[in-house]
Amino acid sequence: MLQTVKPKNARSKRALEAREPKEVEDQRKAIFVHGMKTGEVVDKVMKEMMALKQPHAISFSEKNAIRPFEDPSSLEFWAHKNDASMFVISQSTKKRPAGIIIARMFDSKLLDMCELGIERFVSLSEFKTPKSSPGHKPMLHFASELFDTHPRYMQLKSLLMDLFNGEVIDSICLPGLEHVISVTVAPSDASQTSSALPDDTRHEDPKNLPNVHLRTYTVKLTPSGVRIPRVQLTEMGPFVDFSLRRHQEADQDMLKAATKKPKLKRQDIEKGLGKKKKNLEVDQMGDLRGRIHVAKQDLGKLQTRKMKGLKGQSSEGDEGAGTSPDQSEVEDTSPRKRQKRG
Amino acid sequence: MDVSNLLAAQASKFQSVAVEKDTPLDVDAGFLTVTDLNPIDEDSYRSNLEEFLKSTARDGIQALVAALYELPTESSIDGPVTKLPPPTTQLPRAKPLPKPKPPTKWERFAAAKGIQKKRRDRKVWDEEKQEWVNRWGRDGKNKETEDQWIHEVKANADVDFDPVQAARDERKSRVAKNERQRLQNLARAQTAQSEREQRKIELEKTLAATRTSTASMGKFDRKLEGDKKMRGMKRKFDPTEMSAEKEKQASLAVLSQLDGDAKRAKIDKGAGDEVVNVRKAIRAVSKGKGGVVSGREQRKGSKESGKGKRGKR
Repeated sequence: MLQTVKPKNARSKRALEAREPKEVEDQRKAIFVHGMKTGEVVDKVMKEMMALKQPHAISFSEKNAIRPFEDPSSLEFWAHKNDASMFVISQSTKKRPAGIIIARMFDSKLLDMCELGIERFVSLSEFKTPKSSPGHKPMLHFASELFDTHPRYMQLKSLLMDLFNGEVIDSICLPGLEHVISVTVAPSDASQTSSALPDDTRHEDPKNLPNVHLRTYTVKLTPSGVRIPRVQLTEMGPFVDFSLRRHQEADQDMLKAATKKPKLKRQDIEKGLGKKKKNLEVDQMGDLRGRIHVAKQDLGKLQTRKMKGLKGQSSEGDEGAGTSPDQSEVEDTSPRKRQKRG
Repeated sequence: MDVSNLLAAQASKFQSVAVEKDTPLDVDAGFLTVTDLNPIDEDSYRSNLEEFLKSTARDGIQALVAALYELPTESSIDGPVTKLPPPTTQLPRAKPLPKPKPPTKWERFAAAKGIQKKRRDRKVWDEEKQEWVNRWGRDGKNKETEDQWIHEVKANADVDFDPVQAARDERKSRVAKNERQRLQNLARAQTAQSEREQRKIELEKTLAATRTSTASMGKFDRKLEGDKKMRGMKRKFDPTEMSAEKEKQASLAVLSQLDGDAKRAKIDKGAGDEVVNVRKAIRAVSKGKGGVVSGREQRKGSKESGKGKRGKR
């Protein structure tokens, strides 16, 4: 492994500090690795996916003899060296033609992987339509019930979200949202959805899994007469149809470590992450508790049980024209009741 | 006849923004993501794939945009920005959570004493120059004594005493001390263990102490299952013959310890048992001089006053 370097000047020190673990993480950097043998189509898919990921993408365009499912050590080395935590690897073999592998790292160790086969590809240049500016954040759209039930598709959704949008941001400029990445699963046979148990899926033949359609559109917002504008989509490209192939699930211990949440500071909770919230605190059980302050109660104004005898004494004079405003408030209910009775 | 056209044009211009689905769409505004969990309509999928995908995506994005436009906005230099809520989907982290920095010795002390951290400005006001000067660094305030043009030197100072050099040395020693303490803090931070580990080590130490606390150093104790054999434990016997001097020293060491205990007991008694802490009371009355001295002074004072009276008469 690489040695820990001691910074020799302030600039390298800053660069090293930027690589240290943070509570709220930056966008994941992705390395696009060219495998030993790829085809023209795979190369184009890689290039255009990289264009979507820019500026957080690094290209490894030379031939790299790697088989991530057999030996992930070079991925781990690259991840550490480049401070990157995602990989997109292109590979085309006789057994698995035109494929890409999306791999995700945790702490420079391989967390999980998913291999996708390219079934159909329409390039960005084939649509003579406006394109989004590079570096803008996409909106993501996933459509299928499988994204909530099937572990393979849940993993794929998580990987794609991490690849394109995995950064926690607190605010965004809405006109800056220019494009959409939409992922839709082809309709599946009824038998598959019913047997979507994790035990079955491990040994399930990936050929039975329905394909995934990845589409990119640009967004146009038109006025609709109400505050919310109407959305119109225009094809942007690339359009890719993927089939699911091999995958590697995350190790349970590693996943547990990777999904640890930072303890939010009380200050942040009180601030409500943007909104100011007073008298709110989260107790040891994690429940949100509020405190309310009640002014000292004026017992003179307390509404007690109304009795005919008492009423006559206290408000005989007040029934006339000269009622003071607060007294009339207290007595507000009595005339109405009388009316009802009458 | 044109009216119907106009109406149709108007209607198409203001199409509805409502999205109706069997299962409501799952919007994660924090990650700008929308998930449509409705099953795919197979007929429209088969008939026109691209059109179907586009319309599904449009519906989803319409729901997301509606959710985004509901969020509060804030003005900034680049125009209005929308505040996003924290994401609801949990994605694995790329790196482990940062470890908290171990506190320095001063920070621990300050926490124990409840000392608040005060922010020191880099600049301080110079009364003479009537301007803000650096606290340290170039023309810093801490070099004031070195830089002044005249120095006060004590009468009994050495012939070769250099006040400028002395002030400089003192400042440099302060810097060196700070650096030393910083390094010590670093070293301490590196060796710092987690609380659990510390407790484990402490427990092991206590256990070892109890196991050697019998006369035979645990030789005849009942062994428990899983007990490891203690290592580096040796009984040490003093030689039967030793010099008189050594024997005397050893005995005195024991006696002095006993004496210490007795004294301590006495002090404790003085401090705790009685209502008035005599020691403290004497110290307060004599203003820290001690009982004997203050008594002597009182006696002297009375004599003097007596003399004075006599003198007046």
